[in-house]
Amino acid sequence: MAQWQEVQSLANAYLEQVHQLYAGAALPMAVRQCLAAWIEDQNWRQAAEPLSSHARMLFHSLLALLGERLGSPGLGDEDFMLKHNLRKARRDLQAEFEECPEKFANLVANLLQEERRILRLGQAGGQGGAAPAPSAPPGSDREQQIQRRLAEFHAALQEAERTFRHLEDLQDTFDFCFKVHYLPGEDRASDPQYTQQIQALQAKLQILDRQRREVLAQMQQLLGRSETLRDFLQQELGAWQERQQRACLGAPADTRLCLLETWFTELGQGLFQLLQLLRALGDLRQKVTYERDPLKAETPLLEQRLRELLSYLLQRAFVVEQQPSMPNTCKRPLVLRTASKFSARARLLVRLHDRNHRMEAKIHIDRDPPKIKGFRKFNILTSSSKTLLAGDSPQDGLVCDFQYLTLKEQKDSRSGKGSKGAGEGPLVVTEELHLITFTLAYAYCGLELELETSTLPFVIISNNNQFSSAWASILWFNMLSGDPKDQHFFSVPPPAPWPRLAEVLSWQFESVAERGLSKEHLLMLAEKLFGSKPSLESTLAWSKFSKDGASGFSFWAWLDAILGLLQEHLKQLWKDGLILGFVSRKQEKKLLKGKRTGTFLIRFSESILGGVTCTWVEHPESGPPAFRAVVPYTAAELASLALPDIIRDYQLLVEENIPENPLLFLYPDTARDEAFGPYYSHRQEGNLTEQKKYLNQRLIRVSSRQANESWQTEEELVAATENLETLQLQPGGLGTLQPGGLGTQQPGGPSPLPPGSSGTLQPRGPGTLQVMARSPGTLQPGSPAVLQPSSPGMLQVMVTSPGMLQPGPQGLEPPRPLQVGSGVSEMLQSGIGDLEPQLVLQLVPEGQGTLQVGPGGVGTLQVLPGGLGVLQQVGPEDQGTQQAGPGAVEPQLVLQLVPEGQGTLQVGPGGSGTLQVLPGGLGTLQPVAGDTGILQQVGAGDAGLLPLVLETVEPLLVPEGQETLPPELRGLEPLPGSADMRDLLQSLVEELEPGSGMLEGLEPAELMPDALEATDEGLGPELAGSAALLDASDPFLPQPEDAALPAASSLFAAAADFPLLHIDANDFQ
Amino acid sequence: TGAIGLYNVGQSCCLNSLLQVFLMNIHFTGILRRITVPPRAAQKRRNVPYQMLLLLEEMQCGKQKAVSPIDLACCLSVYRVKLFVQYDAAQLFLTLWNLIKRQMKKPELVEELSCLYTICVQEHLSCQKCSFETKRNSSMLTLPLPVLNSSSHMLKTLEDCLQYFFHPEELTDHNMCFCEQCGKKTPFLQSMKLVRLPQTLTIHLKRFCFEKSAYIHKLSHYLPFPQDLDFNAVLTENQCQADDNEKAAWQYELFAVVAHSGSTSCGHYCAYIRSLTECKWYCFNDSEVCQVSWDDVKCTYGHSNLHWGETAYLLIYMKKRHQ
Repeated sequence: MAQWQEVQSLANAYLEQVHQLYAGAALPMAVRQCLAAWIEDQNWRQAAEPLSSHARMLFHSLLALLGERLGSPGLGDEDFMLKHNLRKARRDLQAEFEECPEKFANLVANLLQEERRILRLGQAGGQGGAAPAPSAPPGSDREQQIQRRLAEFHAALQEAERTFRHLEDLQDTFDFCFKVHYLPGEDRASDPQYTQQIQALQAKLQILDRQRREVLAQMQQLLGRSETLRDFLQQELGAWQERQQRACLGAPADTRLCLLETWFTELGQGLFQLLQLLRALGDLRQKVTYERDPLKAETPLLEQRLRELLSYLLQRAFVVEQQPSMPNTCKRPLVLRTASKFSARARLLVRLHDRNHRMEAKIHIDRDPPKIKGFRKFNILTSSSKTLLAGDSPQDGLVCDFQYLTLKEQKDSRSGKGSKGAGEGPLVVTEELHLITFTLAYAYCGLELELETSTLPFVIISNNNQFSSAWASILWFNMLSGDPKDQHFFSVPPPAPWPRLAEVLSWQFESVAERGLSKEHLLMLAEKLFGSKPSLESTLAWSKFSKDGASGFSFWAWLDAILGLLQEHLKQLWKDGLILGFVSRKQEKKLLKGKRTGTFLIRFSESILGGVTCTWVEHPESGPPAFRAVVPYTAAELASLALPDIIRDYQLLVEENIPENPLLFLYPDTARDEAFGPYYSHRQEGNLTEQKKYLNQRLIRVSSRQANESWQTEEELVAATENLETLQLQPGGLGTLQPGGLGTQQPGGPSPLPPGSSGTLQPRGPGTLQVMARSPGTLQPGSPAVLQPSSPGMLQVMVTSPGMLQPGPQGLEPPRPLQVGSGVSEMLQSGIGDLEPQLVLQLVPEGQGTLQVGPGGVGTLQVLPGGLGVLQQVGPEDQGTQQAGPGAVEPQLVLQLVPEGQGTLQVGPGGSGTLQVLPGGLGTLQPVAGDTGILQQVGAGDAGLLPLVLETVEPLLVPEGQETLPPELRGLEPLPGSADMRDLLQSLVEELEPGSGMLEGLEPAELMPDALEATDEGLGPELAGSAALLDASDPFLPQPEDAALPAASSLFAAAADFPLLHIDANDFQ
Repeated sequence: TGAIGLYNVGQSCCLNSLLQVFLMNIHFTGILRRITVPPRAAQKRRNVPYQMLLLLEEMQCGKQKAVSPIDLACCLSVYRVKLFVQYDAAQLFLTLWNLIKRQMKKPELVEELSCLYTICVQEHLSCQKCSFETKRNSSMLTLPLPVLNSSSHMLKTLEDCLQYFFHPEELTDHNMCFCEQCGKKTPFLQSMKLVRLPQTLTIHLKRFCFEKSAYIHKLSHYLPFPQDLDFNAVLTENQCQADDNEKAAWQYELFAVVAHSGSTSCGHYCAYIRSLTECKWYCFNDSEVCQVSWDDVKCTYGHSNLHWGETAYLLIYMKKRHQ
């Protein structure tokens, strides 16, 4: 319609061509301009044909119209020249073409055609010439092609409709003439006039016939072009389906359908229009037909072809827009859990429907179940059909949205289960693929179809712990299956080519933490999977991916655990590229070797599930660089302390040195605080003047080692409590406590735990040994102490016996120690040869305890506010032995006193101790060398391992100038066990309470002036259950290849229901 | 534009498509323009090459969108090529070509025409018992390629069809032939070797299947064909019987596709032709002509789910100009 307008908007070079075109033309441009719309609307080509009366009619219409325009007031005086030109043109045209209007028609037809050609050139040139939008997505070339073809299709369709209208006119004329002039039955052959009329009639019929063939040819052409369009759209849809499949796997892909919907609708609309035109042609044939009527043979042919094309298009256009997924796991669709809600949505991209026709959509699950033995059958609860209401949401399109669906397994579903054939068992649940089929009863313009489409196969699980392996199946299927409906896929799962797998794995990271895997990451993974030489042809078998694993878990389980860790705790760090992540030990050394001391990197553990660790490099004065790594942190640790904070506060305790943070520069060489500063958690600002009930707490992580470079591997969690209520127990650890087990234990007196009693300790492999003693008054026989090994290398002793050892009126002297016999340690060691047991003694406020650690034990005494602890370390084997084997152990003692805490640390020979006193703390380190006056005899299962008094040990004194230690407190006398604790504590309270200058230099946040109140009043109820326990499920596996420092993993998780530690007022006298 | 349509003058879509393929071929029109014009009007009316030339002139001079081949159609009807009859394009092509050849009076033109279109092959029959061999040279106008193999499996590509066509066949059991040397019926190996390929090579895809006795059905499955075809890459050494010069010239590019839509009983032909002067593809649907692209041509590969759509039936390849 607007051809002339488009022509005028052409670039100058093309406009020039238009001017040239009209320069020599008999039709002046003024006329073209004046009657643009009318001229474009006529079928000149048709009129140009010989014998056509149409040409004359058009010619005279044009002259008449020109005359009208000349007389119209619109052309006022201001357009005098134009008026003049038009008048002249009219005269010229009349003179030239009066006799041969066909020539004129042909002229105009050719002019219009030439215009279109120039227009095409100009538009194509314009696209090529103008710089394409830089943001133009790839494939937009095809997009433009489709748009252009759609436009051409519609233009051709309009042309065909015009031709058709012309045909109608011709037929009416003919029909009229025929009825008037044709008089059969009468013999008028001799009448010349009649013969002439019949001849004219014959000529009219010829024209009519030609016109009919013309329309048919146009329709053939239209259908041919629409086939190409259909092909294009199908390709685009195929590309979309691929994108959707990839998006299901977590790939960043554009899965919008709006463009496709527009295209499909436009093409569908055009084809339906064509169908109607075809029917109208059929009607014409009903009115007039003759021998060899082309309509008779060709309209059915065209209609067949068109219907087939339309059906095919509609069938394709019915797509699953949203694959079935549960609402809370939308990043991992296609895994459904029985009895959990899920949703799925199908869409008909051809947005055409009959408002009077109810369209019903239905869903079916496993309509054609595969013949697999034991294949479970499911029912869809909730309604499985839905009526698409016309006009529901015209702009939203035709959508079958099924929400709140749930699945239920049929009772006799696994009928084949009983008769399991040998070697041909049913597929495991997570490899069983199910399909949902959507059907839609479609009707429009007389075309009735049953459309159907299927979802991608999904896995149905009944328990969340199947989720990870179900997702592995979905990954494998969508990565490798050529047939999107192949439910037999896992009967012979194909291996995955590494490049494809690498891409899919990267998407997993991208979707979880918005950063995919780098080339280096993938190289490391490939090396892990294929050995040292990964090649592009390498393939990985399904079982190797998801089932077998040398380390007790499969590759996928390992990777998915890392994904879980990222998602929960490390998302931001990963996203920002601070985690190097997948680095082999070899590569790690290569990277760090050339870096300065203290350069570290963060990588994932290869030996434990979901672990992350730091490795740093040290360059000793002589010798090769050393690489240190800390035992991997898992979600359990990171839940209480974020990785950036761990890195910030990480302390390495070195003999004769101030504890230091070895993590200085993030690889390659970013200063630690610069790299992680933005991620540090905000330290709580305290107010000194304000009376606070509790000190703030801050968790830090430390490791210690001896000066002689033989690595002492231990990491401790130290908690200065802000709020004792946070010192709660891991619920997981409690369920397995066996309180009755030690009922016969006789901790009274300095006698050790009888080695035999350790039989009831039930160490479950590597575990934490937790000793808990709770005894009112004195540590009496029968007082329940629980030893619960749950984590390798951890021995945790908890004494919550307020009365015990309390020098008071009762004057229990000397303090009765709780001794842990060496049998315990031995037991731990027997399981894992190179295990280094750690001992953590935590004294809760008001508790007092003496801890003796047997040989091979590493002990930590931790005294919480108000607590008093005596840790006695008994010397173990001699140094030589310790260094000989990996199992050798150097006892390490860490005593940390938090404010108001008092502690006595006794270190046995061969041991080394660190005393760290936090502000307000009071500490004494008593090295016991030879003189065993205070040293308690350790009962050992194996006396040979217990040589006493071997060496003198240099005590590690409280470091001078440690900013957190007020100088005033340093001089305090060590408190003997028999001293009046109450007095001392009271005096401390008095000193602390004013908040005077004495406390300057303290971190205000760490003050807890109220802590001592609890001492006076006895153990408050809020302290009940306050102890740190290990999570029993914490798998601290030995780290042969990590060679890392075992990390303590005592965590304070939220669970206030530790029954054993419930202490009520009756416990105190 | 240089492409002019031909009006349908009575189920003449097949004829129209073939005429377009002839007349768009400049090598053919080069010969056609040199024919001797018959002296008398009656002869003129009955001379097919002359009528074709007239039609060509009309198409080229007029600024018409399409011309009517009615005179040529009348001329052909003299030779029992009637209007209002459905033709098989391959068959009509053969008939037309033979008429043209026969009515060209000049022997050198006949020679040129043959040279332009005929394929030379050598048929070999060798006895499997005594290796007695008979050879026979023959010429063909089209390569009639089956689209199914002997076990009725669909062949995947045009190249596969060609390979299958030139694949030796064993004649055993009731197909055995009489061997003069052995004096009895023996199993034979029948093979065909390619000797010469013409400038204009016509390939006939045997999409109409006569398998089930009287019932003829159309095979509309997907069968892609390339734009560029190198016979040396398709055929093996012993499937050819040609010197290196000849073989070096066996580089072809697609010139035209005659496509059929519809069923066996009722169908429509159209032609996709790449203009040799403009190097652009056109689609000729009787009087309707439009410029198309290779994508449109590719749509005639066929589709296993669409039986009424356009499928390539004749493929006309043109020898590439010697580099």
